[in-house]
Amino acid sequence: MISKTFFKESKELFRDGRVRISLAIVLSLLGIAVWISSKQYQSINEQYASAKTAERNIWDNQGEKNPHSAAHYGTYAFKPKYPLSLFDQGVDKYAGTSIFLEAHKRNEAQFSAAADQTGLARFGDLTPDFILLFIIPLLIILLGYNSFTKEREMGTLTLLKSQGISIWKWFIGKWSALFLPIFTITAILFLIAGLVLGNLKNFGVFNTSSLLVLFLVYMAYYVIFINIILLISSITKKSGISLVVSLSVWILACLAAPKAASNIAESKYPYPTRQEFETSVLKDKKAGLDGHNPWSKEAKMLEQQVLIEYGVDSLHQLPFNFAAYRTQKGEEHEAEVYFKHYNYLKEQFTNQSKVYRSLAAISPYLPTRFLSMAIAHTDYATHWDFADAAETYRIDTQQFLNNNTAQNTEYGQRGYKASANFWQQLPAFKYDPPKLESTLEKNASNISIMGIWLLASFGFLFFTTKNF
Amino acid sequence: MITTNNLTKKYGEQIALDHLNLNVKEGEIYCLLGANGAGKTTTINLLLGFIEPSSGSAQINQLSVQENLKATKQFLAYIPENLMLYPSLTAVENLDYFSGIAGKKLSTAILKNLLEESGLQSEAFDNRISTFSKGMRQKVGIAIALAKDAKVLLLDEPTSGLDPKASNEFGILLQKLKEKGVATLMATHDLFRAKEVGTHIGIMKDGQLKKEFIVENITLNELETFYLDTMNLKEKTV
Repeated sequence: MISKTFFKESKELFRDGRVRISLAIVLSLLGIAVWISSKQYQSINEQYASAKTAERNIWDNQGEKNPHSAAHYGTYAFKPKYPLSLFDQGVDKYAGTSIFLEAHKRNEAQFSAAADQTGLARFGDLTPDFILLFIIPLLIILLGYNSFTKEREMGTLTLLKSQGISIWKWFIGKWSALFLPIFTITAILFLIAGLVLGNLKNFGVFNTSSLLVLFLVYMAYYVIFINIILLISSITKKSGISLVVSLSVWILACLAAPKAASNIAESKYPYPTRQEFETSVLKDKKAGLDGHNPWSKEAKMLEQQVLIEYGVDSLHQLPFNFAAYRTQKGEEHEAEVYFKHYNYLKEQFTNQSKVYRSLAAISPYLPTRFLSMAIAHTDYATHWDFADAAETYRIDTQQFLNNNTAQNTEYGQRGYKASANFWQQLPAFKYDPPKLESTLEKNASNISIMGIWLLASFGFLFFTTKNF
Repeated sequence: MITTNNLTKKYGEQIALDHLNLNVKEGEIYCLLGANGAGKTTTINLLLGFIEPSSGSAQINQLSVQENLKATKQFLAYIPENLMLYPSLTAVENLDYFSGIAGKKLSTAILKNLLEESGLQSEAFDNRISTFSKGMRQKVGIAIALAKDAKVLLLDEPTSGLDPKASNEFGILLQKLKEKGVATLMATHDLFRAKEVGTHIGIMKDGQLKKEFIVENITLNELETFYLDTMNLKEKTV
């Protein structure tokens, strides 16, 4: 009976011209979105590779130069574009792609894609995640809103019941008929994307496990939507009402809930404005050691501490250049200040994420979106991780440069220049994004919420079988 | 095959069916005559288990409908006044689906034979139901009953809206089923058709079975007189 119902429903669906046109539109949009995204991915990765090599060449070939001048001259940490960003570009567009690493200052990522676009970019891009998160649920509504109401309206339900139909088998047949086209479309998309990514040169950290988990996340999202739409169809009397209720659920889940969550999170745990943030950082920096100012109270205190520690009377008697040592200590103080203020931002981000997670109970879109971005390495958590790695590298670089000056010069000596091959001794910046296991562990609550949505939607659907 | 014992259905204070006692045996066609609201469709709905009786009982093939609902369904076929099938499926596909959900796995050749037996023209077998007239749909309904090998056939105004030719063809089909031993209960307004195809006739009014006849013992004129008398009974008492 399940297979009979499945084939009957499938025939009815595919003989409906509206469904065929909708499927063709969705498939075309997906094809275009994947093509555009893969082109962008290739282009950005080429730019990334070329910029990274060029920047390293500049660093390596500085020639003879004072290390602190090199520290101010700075270098860049480039954020790689990850293969699964082909599916979900997440916050990449707004978060910036490179961080300028220089002495005394922690900079934020800059050169975001959004900054390079005109105001028209506000309308959004045609990306696979847009189709996957918004359009396919709409397709599910189109395919399933009248799944049960049509039986009531046409009068076939009476005949079915007189034939002694097993209601739960009938439900499974209808469910399968709705699931299969969605599964097929999604599987084709992931298969094509997998093939595209697998055949790209230097395709980074792409692995099939992440692709498979991402596929499962989206399938879980669609199963929840299928259950909700069938539930609505089974409890409403007319197809028109079922369609309106289903579309209302889509608007609430996919459009209203994320925006409401964003507003609530921002109002409850606001970020400081850029001006407030910079003022606070400057205030704290001024309250501590300035590595460039030998006359400050903090510098004099450091001087006394070092003299006592080394048991000498003069800075000239120290086995290293105290000026470079002071610069390094100044760097460490500034790094602590940045650490404190950025940690506050991270705390606010974590609190905002908690608000989002709590609101995920009203929309399966939210946990899906978070999981999707996290697996694709395009979420804020990955961006923070990258920014932290870049900051660690910046601090290590300053220490590497200051140590060189401290070890190779004497206090008061001016005009020191490190040798031309010194720069190559600095290890290159390398960033490895969180592993899939770690990402899933950090997103355990989102996975749990998805699980609850799945169980609850199946449960409600099961109970409505008793209405027939 | 079809038995009711004091079968009663009440909706609040209103009595839709009042202590109905019926017995339709194999090879009999029992026609229930009556005006709208007489209780004909309520009787059929109770036999199908679509509604619960307020009191009394109904049996199909000696099985209680209330206690063995699923088991009784395997013996019966039902054709409502407006038999609705899936418009985008062909006659063969509809027959395949409805017989399939009743647990019958039949080849396309057998399905086509059944449609032929039910009087549907072979050119229409692979046409979509959306192009069918009501008479053609009723024939597919009969094919569904044939495919199920039903022992009991419940018909609710099956000839209503059919042209005389289609109505006559439908009557012939019922005769064929009767010869196969199918027990048929048909609710109808059509005295002429009831006299033509029925073996027994019952006249219902206000949920009660007022009169019962064996068809061969009564003429059409007598039936009409009895029917009108029964229908006018209320007017006389008022």
